Amino acid sequence: MSFFVRFWGIRGSIPTPGHLTKKYGGNTSCVEIRSDDSLFICDGGTGLRELGADLLTRGKKQITGHFFYSHTHWDHIQGFPFFTPAYIPSNTFHVYGTAEGDRRTYELLSGQMRSDYFPVDFGELRSNIVASHLDGGHREIDGVAVSFFEQHHPGRSWAYSFVRDGFKIVYATDNEIDLTFPRPEAVLKEPEAPRPIPEAFRQFCHGADLLIADGQYFDDEYEKKVGWGHPRASTIIDLALQSEAKQVAIFHHDPMHGDSDVDRKIALCKERAARVNPQLLVFGAREGLELRIG
Amino acid sequence: MASQKTKNDWNDESTSEISVTLLPLSTEQTPSVLEMVQGPGAPRNYELFRAEMVVGRAIDADVPINSTDLSRRHVLLKRAPSGQYSLQDLESRNGAYVNGVKIHSAVLHDGDSIQLGSILFVFHEGRAMS
Ligand SMILES: [Zn+2]
Ligand SMILES: [Zn+2]
Repeated sequence: MSFFVRFWGIRGSIPTPGHLTKKYGGNTSCVEIRSDDSLFICDGGTGLRELGADLLTRGKKQITGHFFYSHTHWDHIQGFPFFTPAYIPSNTFHVYGTAEGDRRTYELLSGQMRSDYFPVDFGELRSNIVASHLDGGHREIDGVAVSFFEQHHPGRSWAYSFVRDGFKIVYATDNEIDLTFPRPEAVLKEPEAPRPIPEAFRQFCHGADLLIADGQYFDDEYEKKVGWGHPRASTIIDLALQSEAKQVAIFHHDPMHGDSDVDRKIALCKERAARVNPQLLVFGAREGLELRIG
Repeated sequence: MASQKTKNDWNDESTSEISVTLLPLSTEQTPSVLEMVQGPGAPRNYELFRAEMVVGRAIDADVPINSTDLSRRHVLLKRAPSGQYSLQDLESRNGAYVNGVKIHSAVLHDGDSIQLGSILFVFHEGRAMS
């Protein structure tokens, strides 16, 4: 068994098309995870449109997919009305809330398709769209154990882990870990020192074969963006190191960052990782990249 | 206020009319290139002239490379209608790495490094080839 993980949208906050973002891409959050025939979709930002188009070329008569939304900020749901497979009656999509009766995600997805915002009504999505949930934080779907963890983000957000046959993928975006530090000023005084990643989150990410995590800001940028819901990229390196992840994809790139800025951010992240564990593989999530895990 | 001299120097009527000849298209259309920077026969350039090209140890591979590090059919380079190439690992024994990341597939961009075993390439994106 292998997981296949493909990045369809990696950008934070707002789509950023154009030549400056050609390499990493301009679509907002959407990551596809496949395990055998099962399809898991993390977030439905504008990258979801292209995933939808690609799914239709794969020759399956019936598509079943499981949607896990980190949260319902625009950049994570905007692609859904343009997800063509949702308009085809033979397909089924499960949209997971984090507790029984939690239909927040489902309601917000349908809400963005009200006529004030969008010409097509949610009811015109002919596929079978099922509001579902994770039982007590966990659920086994087609042999994949899925769990969630509540993060730090305005209006709440969730990280998800996917485990099968000992292989683990964590998707953790829109998470201002830096806000959990008991002494934020210590980071400014000693930026090189290891950061106090909360134990529970370290455990959640522990041993991930692939950790996909929001690393939107450079250190100096973060000072002006405290409370906006995103961490320093350097903090994600400490998360990866302390949770003993094998590789980390820095995700949710800032819309103000062109390819050269992201390159620079990743280079700094690599330096930080190499000082502690040269084995940790660090890279910038970029569209069109597909990894095989396991 | 501009002096009389400046006005004369930049007088429109001093432009001589010529018939413009378009430069040859070949300067606009350049194929993507796989530059081998490490490996047997390096440095060496392979122009990507087909929509699908296999790199491998097989003698009939589109880019045949005589190295036991490589599987017979190691990776496939595939051109999308947009002209963009992607790289796909063909279940090779030693895997394919783009910029140090082991990939299953990746859309390639100018300057990407591709490592197959001990063989190292740099991808150079062409222009307007489709
Ligand atoms: Zn976001
Ligand atoms: Zn958000």
